[in-house]
Amino acid sequence: MNAVALIRRRAGRWALNGAATLSLAYILLPLVFVVWLAFFRQEIPSFPPEGYSLRWFAAILDQRKFVDGFSLSFQVGVLATVIGLALGVPAALCLARYDISWRAPLSSLLLMPLIVPGVVLGTSMYVFHVELENALDVDVIGTFYALVAGHVVIVIPWIVRLVTASLAGVDRTTEEAAQNLGANRWITFWRITLPAIRPGMVAGALFGFVTSFGNLEMSLFLVGPGRTTLPIVILQYLEWKIDPTIAAVSVVQIVLIAIAMLITDRYVKLARVV
Amino acid sequence: MSLAIDRQRSRLLTASALIGPATIFVAVSLFAPLAILFRFSLNGFDKATKTMVEALTAANYIHFFTDPYYTAALATTVKIALLSTVACLVLGFPLAYVVARTQSRFKHLLIIAIVLPLFVGNAVRAAGWMVVFGNKGFVNAGLTGLGLIDKPLEIMFTEKAVIIGIIAVNLPFMVLSLQSVIEGIDRAVEEAAFSLGAPPLTMFRRVLWPLALPGILSGTILTFILAMNAYATPYLLGGPLFKMMAPLVYNQFTQQTNWPFGGAIAFILMAVTLGLTVVANLLIQRRSARRTTA
Repeated sequence: MNAVALIRRRAGRWALNGAATLSLAYILLPLVFVVWLAFFRQEIPSFPPEGYSLRWFAAILDQRKFVDGFSLSFQVGVLATVIGLALGVPAALCLARYDISWRAPLSSLLLMPLIVPGVVLGTSMYVFHVELENALDVDVIGTFYALVAGHVVIVIPWIVRLVTASLAGVDRTTEEAAQNLGANRWITFWRITLPAIRPGMVAGALFGFVTSFGNLEMSLFLVGPGRTTLPIVILQYLEWKIDPTIAAVSVVQIVLIAIAMLITDRYVKLARVV
Repeated sequence: MSLAIDRQRSRLLTASALIGPATIFVAVSLFAPLAILFRFSLNGFDKATKTMVEALTAANYIHFFTDPYYTAALATTVKIALLSTVACLVLGFPLAYVVARTQSRFKHLLIIAIVLPLFVGNAVRAAGWMVVFGNKGFVNAGLTGLGLIDKPLEIMFTEKAVIIGIIAVNLPFMVLSLQSVIEGIDRAVEEAAFSLGAPPLTMFRRVLWPLALPGILSGTILTFILAMNAYATPYLLGGPLFKMMAPLVYNQFTQQTNWPFGGAIAFILMAVTLGLTVVANLLIQRRSARRTTA
């Protein structure tokens, strides 16, 4: 390779790395500023900050709506994830282990909630709840269980996707060997299949939980008066003002999600599944 | 013989029992609501009592397309979605390439840094931009401090702020779509182009771009759909009066309680998004087909 080409390639490398760094900075910039603001001493987000303080984190607890929102989001997320596992893990087993016709359309259907826009999901579920309430004569609109049912729909795709991915890496002959050695189907499932899909289940559950916990657009249509999830509380607060308190709330959320991501990464290669 | 059929039947039964509940749940939760919403969009609305009136009419759809207020909102939405999608592709490609090709031990941290903002939610990220763009925000304080401007620039509540915000929201999706495809492209192909004397840009145009086309397609489609349907970003960075489609739907439902019209807007939004996606898909595929035969 001649010198000009070498220089050209090296310059290309630098340009490429520079551009990549800029893009990454662009993605992270809003989070950096939210975290920064959470530690400001003054209440107004003006620059440069007059000093730094931790008091806004204590101030979160004084505002009931943040605590209530967090608690509701957490409950909905946990319940939706548990139901999502109960529905999604068997479905993933079926998709990965049985030669059924219709596999492709079934798998697309189960992954579809990922690409249906939140505002469409929210509005359509809302009118569905209206009709259900009229037809069954029970409270549906704005109830806790209606909200959970909506969240289960957006949790299932993650569980199906991650459990299917983890099963693809398991050699099917191990299961057949166990059955040849006299294990029945349940023993095979408990001793061979379940341990193999555990990483996928953990990752799917974490992704599902995080998706549910952070969901805003769909939940806006499903929450009842006086009972809102944390992302909606944050949105409503931001309509009114931006200050270090809301930044501190955001920091708590960012830290929780980062921990969930780091745990997930220990079980499955994130690059393969997202 | 009958034993074999029995076994097959029992396998089919097990398979259905495994996948049935999830399938039924997702299908009912997606399609029944959409069907009802569509039926509602054909109903009328009594403005005086703010209630829905049973009817079978396309009036809501006609109203949307004949009122310049709403067509302008649709035009703004499409324009912003197109702009932000192109920007995501241009900004996302270098990052996706570097992530796909890096040998670093810290690759997983790099990926977490890209994925984390996705899960943190749009409202929190909008909050970050509010700190940057506000009247006393980082940009204005910085420019005033440097003596470059006398009075603060109006960035918040403008189209610029919305576009910048949407690009940041969608960029991770583009990077992840591209990265997974680039990772599957054998590096030897690139090396071959280089050793045949191709400059980097030619290599990119003739080798990398065509091979990465599936990822480029899925990434642009995903970011375009997301941009078309963006809610929190235009609402918080553009202000309550900023006209994009998703905030309009929300407004019709909650402020006006006009479900028929809100439903019609939601379906128009879905149809336009789907239509443009299909057209773009066909165009790109035809172009790439022509290029390979040429």
